[in-house]
Amino acid sequence: MPTYRTLTSNFPWALDRLEWPVTSEVGPGLAGVIATGTRVSWLDPSSGALAYRGIPIERIAGEYEFEEAAHLLITGRRPAEDRDAFNAFRDRLRRSRDLPPDAVALVRSLHREVHPTRMLRAGVSALGCHEMTAEDELSGARHWRELRIIAQVAALVGEIARHRNNRPKHMFETGHSLAHCTLRALRDDEPDTRDVRTLDLLWVLYADHGLDAPTFTSMVVASCLADPYYNIVAGLSALRGPLLGGAGERVLAQVLPLRTPEQARLRVAEILASGGRLAGFGHRLYHIPDPRVVVLRKELAAQARRRNRAELFDIARAVEDEALRQLAPKGIHVNINFYAALLFHLLGADGPLIPCLYAVGRMAGLLARVHEALENPRLFRPLDRYVGHRERSLPREGAR
Amino acid sequence: MRAYTGHYELQTYGRGLENLVVTDTRVAEIDGNRGRLLYRGYPVEQLAEACSFEEVAYLVLHGELPGRDEAAAWTEELKRWRKPPAEAFAALARIPSNAHPLAIYRTMLTIAACHIPEAERTDLEAQWRRPARILSWSAALAAGAIRHLHGEQPLPARDELGFAANFLAQALGREPDEDQARAFEVSMIVQAEHGLHAAAFAALIVISTGADLGSAVLAGMGALSGIRHGGANQLAFENLARLHDPGHARRWAREKLAQRYRFPGFGHRIYKCPDPRVRVLEPYAKRLLETNDLSDRWHTYAALREEVEGALSEKGIYANVDGITGLIYHPLGLPASAFPIPFCLAIETGWMAHCLEYLPSGKMIEPGAVCLLD
Repeated sequence: MPTYRTLTSNFPWALDRLEWPVTSEVGPGLAGVIATGTRVSWLDPSSGALAYRGIPIERIAGEYEFEEAAHLLITGRRPAEDRDAFNAFRDRLRRSRDLPPDAVALVRSLHREVHPTRMLRAGVSALGCHEMTAEDELSGARHWRELRIIAQVAALVGEIARHRNNRPKHMFETGHSLAHCTLRALRDDEPDTRDVRTLDLLWVLYADHGLDAPTFTSMVVASCLADPYYNIVAGLSALRGPLLGGAGERVLAQVLPLRTPEQARLRVAEILASGGRLAGFGHRLYHIPDPRVVVLRKELAAQARRRNRAELFDIARAVEDEALRQLAPKGIHVNINFYAALLFHLLGADGPLIPCLYAVGRMAGLLARVHEALENPRLFRPLDRYVGHRERSLPREGAR
Repeated sequence: MRAYTGHYELQTYGRGLENLVVTDTRVAEIDGNRGRLLYRGYPVEQLAEACSFEEVAYLVLHGELPGRDEAAAWTEELKRWRKPPAEAFAALARIPSNAHPLAIYRTMLTIAACHIPEAERTDLEAQWRRPARILSWSAALAAGAIRHLHGEQPLPARDELGFAANFLAQALGREPDEDQARAFEVSMIVQAEHGLHAAAFAALIVISTGADLGSAVLAGMGALSGIRHGGANQLAFENLARLHDPGHARRWAREKLAQRYRFPGFGHRIYKCPDPRVRVLEPYAKRLLETNDLSDRWHTYAALREEVEGALSEKGIYANVDGITGLIYHPLGLPASAFPIPFCLAIETGWMAHCLEYLPSGKMIEPGAVCLLD
């Protein structure tokens, strides 16, 4: 039986094969635990390498639209390998944006002040009631309409944005990409191709990133053979935590009030000197720069410039530089949420909507991994260790 | 910076994290070889004998049985939350009644979760204020979901009834008699907690991200919905319902035994001996079936159990709790598709206890995946 050195820096990120049972080191929060083997993506935080189905993320970011990346992650095949298969996938995705009117009405009946991640979870749950009947759930023929879910979540996020902005329901259209339609719902104008490309890029980069808590939650739920809507509701519940879902909102709250790069440097120094936390910095796995940041930094520079908001990029750079001067020696670097939040902002999203928007991208990786786990399903059922009270009897009078 | 310091140990585990110890717990002790289940040190048999569900819920959550004042305050708190936000019921008009009841219930909970006090507070104090609300809202919403299956309107809570009896009254539209109410309450007591099963594990992962307790419960519900888990009681009952009489049950069992069939309602990943919950519940089920002219159903169950256990007990396969609860829910008048709901309602208690126990020192649960290069 192989024994793996799995302390975070020694984790065996890639192996030729994995034989169960395994022996490994186990730390708090299951650090070091090998939960599964995967062929969906390759992540090696110690070298900064990230690849979807063997293709480096840098290449995917440059060449793939989100719909193509989703196809790659879920099916394991490059769209160019089989154009017909990809076109069928894409058409099905685009048609699936058509939501049951009752599900939209239900989301619209919620108070506008409700956090959008809660709205999205309610919307997905309601959708599940329309998509799955009581018969389906026990028939054994699991209706894995996973493609639909990606498009449905995108459409729901668009509706939530419109509801929060007090705008009427979005017209359904099939001719455009998910990114195009979502931007259009968000802003109520015809988005230009450059902005569509930015949203595609953000979704591509958020599509998959190892077994983070939302993805792992979904895998555990899927392993019980729950229907896909339960998986997404559970995954969105994990995303709700302030540690994950709230990061973008905090980045905007910290960066947007800054007026000049000088002010940014002073503010960062002030926050760090008082022991405060900078939003958008630090990652559990990466102690070197995150490869996705490089791509997004460049994108922010371009997007800020063409909007005549070059100062926003300069301020962001100043925040990063000043923070890294102090934090990089400790292995803390800027993370994906920092530049992504500013890009989502330029595209027209407010802070609370950001986790909903990146959830659309994450659907692709999440479903790819669930799909993979279900090929050979095994219930996730670990143990806990009882250290509590020894056996005792009830007090004589009972407890009443 | 090292993200994690602290204690590391070597462990050996299988696929599905089998045999991996995730955390220490003081909530429940389960001995699968001796057939023992203890909540906070008390054997479940004794709790089923002497306690109300409210007392057991308090015990599971807080670690000790409530004293007189604590019991009164806890019962009062539970009653105070018996009226969930009207929006959650209004949503029923937009949910098809052929959806699965657990999914309807889930949707009502996600909508109620849009209307909770201190929604974005996740400090320990705020989290500890949530269990009473979650339990009582859950009961009212679950009852509403069950009524929706027949196109019926939700009913108001009955203040004079205890937690279990009130749920039945709200779900069925009539007050249960004493036997019915107690049988159902006992079924809730013995299912209030069961260690770190897959659903509790899902809840634990979610709470470890800093999310609110209600979000953790929704994740638990997702895992429980699967046929491997909460749907098992429905499957077991539907299987039993297809068997006409004891003779049919025996013939069918023998036929299936030859095919190495996995019998719904039998076998358990932990118990390799009779399940203590089954021993507690069987007398209640028998009595309810008899008083409702359903003795045949009982004899069919007994025959199936005898046949299957006779052949498989040496492999550690015995009747499990999913096979017996349906024989309590059915004579009460609950439809089979709704069976996962009372199980969910009861075990939310245990999920919350595990979450609240994990919170103070818990790290975010994020294991690794190994990329396979073949």
